[in-house]
Amino acid sequence: MTPAVEVRNLTHYYLKGTENQVAAINKINLCVEKGETLGIIGHTGSGKSTLIAHFNGLLKPDEGEVLVDGKNIFESKETLRQSRFKVGLCFQYPEYQLFEETVFRDIAFGPKNMKLPQDEIERRVLTAAGMAGVKKENLNKSPFDLSGGEKRRAAIAGVMSMEPQVLVLDEPAAGLDPAGRRELINMIKNYRTATGCTVIIVSHSMEDIASVADRVCVLNKAEIAMLGTPKEVYSRDEELREMGLNVPEITKIFLTLRKRGLDVPEVFTVDEALAAFRNLTKGGGNQ
Amino acid sequence: MISDISIGQYYTGNSFLHKMDARMKFILVFALLVFVFLCKSFFSLALMVVFTIFAVLVSKVPLKMILKSIKPLFIIILFTAVLNIFYTTGGTTYFEWHSLKLTEKGINTAIFMAVRIIVLVVISSLLTYTTTPTLLTDAIERLLSPLTVFHIKVHTLAMMMTLALRFIPTLVEEIERIMNAQKARGAELETGGLIARSKALIPIFVPLMVSSFRRAYELAFAMTCRCYTGGEGRTRMKQMKLKPRDFIAALFVSALLAGVIVLNHFFKAVI
Ligand SMILES: Nc1ncnc2c1ncn2[C@@H]1O[C@H](COP(=O)(O)OP(=O)(O)OP(=O)(O)O)[C@@H](O)[C@H]1O
Ligand SMILES: [Mg+2]
Repeated sequence: MTPAVEVRNLTHYYLKGTENQVAAINKINLCVEKGETLGIIGHTGSGKSTLIAHFNGLLKPDEGEVLVDGKNIFESKETLRQSRFKVGLCFQYPEYQLFEETVFRDIAFGPKNMKLPQDEIERRVLTAAGMAGVKKENLNKSPFDLSGGEKRRAAIAGVMSMEPQVLVLDEPAAGLDPAGRRELINMIKNYRTATGCTVIIVSHSMEDIASVADRVCVLNKAEIAMLGTPKEVYSRDEELREMGLNVPEITKIFLTLRKRGLDVPEVFTVDEALAAFRNLTKGGGNQ
Repeated sequence: MISDISIGQYYTGNSFLHKMDARMKFILVFALLVFVFLCKSFFSLALMVVFTIFAVLVSKVPLKMILKSIKPLFIIILFTAVLNIFYTTGGTTYFEWHSLKLTEKGINTAIFMAVRIIVLVVISSLLTYTTTPTLLTDAIERLLSPLTVFHIKVHTLAMMMTLALRFIPTLVEEIERIMNAQKARGAELETGGLIARSKALIPIFVPLMVSSFRRAYELAFAMTCRCYTGGEGRTRMKQMKLKPRDFIAALFVSALLAGVIVLNHFFKAVI
């Protein structure tokens, strides 16, 4: 099967040609399979946003290539345009991109650019709004009258409404309260089961990534440091700490417990931890 | 890209000119701009040019940067020179074709004009190269402070100028961010006719305006919280003080004025 997104030997420099030139990402090779959820983590400035801006051709690689659906996106104008619709990119703090008079029209901006018929646009807006959790009564309000979290949802719906094959979210939960975070993560999970789309999610939060991602990609200083299942990645907690990252609190506790000789599995979420404890007490009771 | 625009073209350095008091620099630059037009003979003009070159050397601003400031004006300089060649007449005529006349005075005027503009630009860009925008507006505020007598709010004006300069890079960054976000939703910014293109700007400018206003309110709150009430009774952390070097510079420029006047007096005026 052709991967949904593939980057080969990708390098991007900022301030090229000046003495301040830096490689924001350096010789990255990455394959994102169709239907999987990939989490990208890394310290601030590790190049996460730069990397994902290549997936739909917003940034042009200085070296290497980007393939969407097996096709080099810079092959022609048409492939570039197609990649914009195939890969839906939702930036950090997307609420600042809202501009239309009503939320409905803002969500319709993407499909309208795809030159879809009116009834199809309407259908997509309603589905996307439903999936992103935009309340029905908010659709006819001005986007500027919504709360921060509601704006965020509207902006994410604006990308979902293009029904991209790959949905890329840059820090979707940044700046939300714990409840908002949880809701957002659940929303992404539901979106994924409903559509079967590939999802790439960038985050600082190990907990969030652990609960949604099939695979985790760790960026460190412009390069891929680790790539694997959450289990594989989070078991290397010493290395992660050296990169300025932290494994989830609950994982830390369980790793310590294991070191102390208690027979517990590796867990990444509180739910898993609860289940593990139940098992443990059950096992203990039987003895 | 948009980010190539450089405004407030300060060149970091530690030269004599960088260390001078901004107010004195302002006054002297103004005086020099007047002197350029006092020059009537080739010798006084040459003195002016020598002084300018000297100032550039003292500032330690690379020649490349200086040339960069003249480059955009190249067409204008050429245009003025050509215009002057044919429009001023007098003295020996070298060449005549229909109504066009190439005369000695015409050529002289053209040379004078070109050199004057170049000197003007170089001197004023030296001011911006060696003074940070903040110091520049500070200096303007103090030099204009006598105007408060006429109830002009000089402090407010200067503060507005400082803030505007401060926020230009932020706005450029913001525009780029919003443009990317809309492009990701399939907005086409670079194609189509004039109307299509101006329509495509709406998704950029609405969010930009909204965030600018938000930022302005936030800034106003932040300033109020730190007890900002405008210029009245405000003192400064950094006092501007005239130092010996400022008087040396002033003396130097006065000597230049004397030189220009003497040379004008003893040599033939050519324009
Ligand atoms: N427009 C730009 N001009 C110059 N350098 C830039 C620019 N954008 C990013 N950089 C640099 O490139 C590097 C990677 O930036 P990037 O935004 O990809 O990081 P990030 O991993 O997304 O960080 P964060 O977690 O803070 O969002 C950083 O060191 C940054 O300073
Ligand atoms: Mg980022």
